Amino acid sequence: MKMNKLDKSVLKLWYIQAAMGALALVGVAVASLVILLVTEAPSSVMLAVFLGVGIPVSLLLCLTLIMPALRHKMYSWGYDDKRIIVKQGVIFRQRVVIPVCQIQDLHRTQGPIMMMLGLSGVTISTAGSNFDISTLTTNEADCLIDALEQNLEARVEELKNEEI
Amino acid sequence: MKRFDKGYIYSSLLTDFFYSVVLVFFFLRDLFFNEESSPNTIATATPFFVIGFVVIYLCFVAYRILYYRMSGYELTDKEIKCNRGVLFKKRSILDYKKIHAINKKQGIIHRIFGIAVLTVDSGSANTSHQAEITIIEKNTVVDALLSELNALKKNTIKDDAGEVRREEVLLSNKDSLYRFTSAKKMLYTLINIASTAFFTALFAVLAIIILGVCKAMLQLDFLGTLGQYFLYAILISVGGVLLFSIFSFIGSIIHSFIGYYNFTITQNDNNIQISYGLLEKHTNTFSYDRIKAVKVSQGLVQRILGFASIKLEVIGYTVNSSDDSKNAGLGVLIPFCKYNEIDEILGKVLPDYIPSEKQTKSVSFFPFVSWFLLIFGIIAGVILAGSVTVMAMLSAPSKIISAAVLAISGLALIVIVLKFVSAGLSYHTNGLAIHDGKITTYSGGFTKNITVFKAKNLIAVENVTTPLRKKHGIASIVMHLKTNESSNEVKVHIQKDTLSDEIEKMLTV
Repeated sequence: MKMNKLDKSVLKLWYIQAAMGALALVGVAVASLVILLVTEAPSSVMLAVFLGVGIPVSLLLCLTLIMPALRHKMYSWGYDDKRIIVKQGVIFRQRVVIPVCQIQDLHRTQGPIMMMLGLSGVTISTAGSNFDISTLTTNEADCLIDALEQNLEARVEELKNEEI
Repeated sequence: MKRFDKGYIYSSLLTDFFYSVVLVFFFLRDLFFNEESSPNTIATATPFFVIGFVVIYLCFVAYRILYYRMSGYELTDKEIKCNRGVLFKKRSILDYKKIHAINKKQGIIHRIFGIAVLTVDSGSANTSHQAEITIIEKNTVVDALLSELNALKKNTIKDDAGEVRREEVLLSNKDSLYRFTSAKKMLYTLINIASTAFFTALFAVLAIIILGVCKAMLQLDFLGTLGQYFLYAILISVGGVLLFSIFSFIGSIIHSFIGYYNFTITQNDNNIQISYGLLEKHTNTFSYDRIKAVKVSQGLVQRILGFASIKLEVIGYTVNSSDDSKNAGLGVLIPFCKYNEIDEILGKVLPDYIPSEKQTKSVSFFPFVSWFLLIFGIIAGVILAGSVTVMAMLSAPSKIISAAVLAISGLALIVIVLKFVSAGLSYHTNGLAIHDGKITTYSGGFTKNITVFKAKNLIAVENVTTPLRKKHGIASIVMHLKTNESSNEVKVHIQKDTLSDEIEKMLTV
């Protein structure tokens, strides 16, 4: 089975989302600093807050900026007439296999930023869990949904006289 | 369309009476319980209470009468129809052949008025929180409906062999194979409570050791004021846990003696029926082929003493206690039995779900603790370093700093020891068996779980690993099952990564 990598525009989307997260973190750090300055806290307390808030915020900031690139590198997906495979994860690597015959619904979703970048998320609903194929270009998502629909019809025909 | 029995109105109004009293007290509590309360103020407040009660109760009366007038049911040749609701009206139509479960529930107030609640469900994931059809009728009518619906369902689904099988009692209190006797119920209650008591005692002993070490090392009266607060906090926690243990002991006795009264499992054609309860009687009926998995659970104490309980997971079922819930309490197949009796009992009730012997086992111990040690080490280290730094900056006495270091280190050590024990148990428990289209998973640490399910109920397989584990051919396997519950995953940890390929083959065959 051919495994596909995500489009580069997905990385843009993830960086925009990461930047929003980073802004929130910077906000926490700035708010702490303002409170300390307004209350004229002693230097020892300022140092303690710097260590307690500054270091975790800096570490989280680094992670927020590094993770999109790593996630993009590790993410791959593919499908054939029988199954869909999604590989993802940086530290904990997941490989999910979903049989085509178990698909119940296929959903394509788009947020405002995704619409601007021409991207879509695909959710595969089964009789149990829902599985997301993180973010694809809208063309890829449409092709995937059409192909899965055809594969599903063919597979259902194939299994008609068997116990699914 | 036939209306529900009038007993619905009377039973509901009896419950509503108590709700109304509680509601009025809640809104007018200041009139009765303020600081300036006197016989005069209470006398002044009483008319308000009565008026408030009458207004609220009349609203309930109006709602119940409207619900009664707008609700009803009808059995046609092919389907069952049901109307209900006042503000939001709901009309449900369920084809007999789509019936997945028929449940009868009779609470203590229902019994006073001789009525029962019958729910009929299709097992659809879209209506997982509520059954499609709810009928409130006289107890005898509900019994007749239960039989009629079972017959109608059977008639619409043509039996391959065309044979009519008689009802067969599989397990009951009178059965020699399984007896949920009073002695067994008492033992079940004691074992249920033993785990809580064990951890309470452990918690208390460890707390005393930590405090004792701090005191001995620092030769202080429990570290001054801070130490006293610490001691009080621990004593209050221990007291709280002990109180919880007493309440759960009483609750467990009531549950086992009254909740599981006259526990019976019967089979009628392809349907399994579980009946139990004294004050609130339950009769849950569902198709054998809708069973998703059978789960054998053993808590730590049950494991040591060689006992287990068997639970049942049925597609489309959720646990809810409201009147029209799909089920209240379905999940227990055998509340309590000896571990070595499981094969014999399941052989009689659900022969397709007898657990197979473990074919694989965990390949390494270290992965069970590696991530925990790393993350917990970082967190404990940061807390320790942070506490010391902050206290040093605030010029705390060195004795207080030493005491804090000792307390944090002691707690960290206890958590690590507990994790190692749990990891050791997980290492010995985790495993898998694939046999004849049936998968048996062994998982859990302190609580051992054996889950048996058919490959046809497997939706997806997930292989979770890390770069280092991949190098050593190790992976954890997550299996997603066909259900509408959120807990629809079975995990088996630290296995050979080739195992997921074998399971994948079963998925796509």
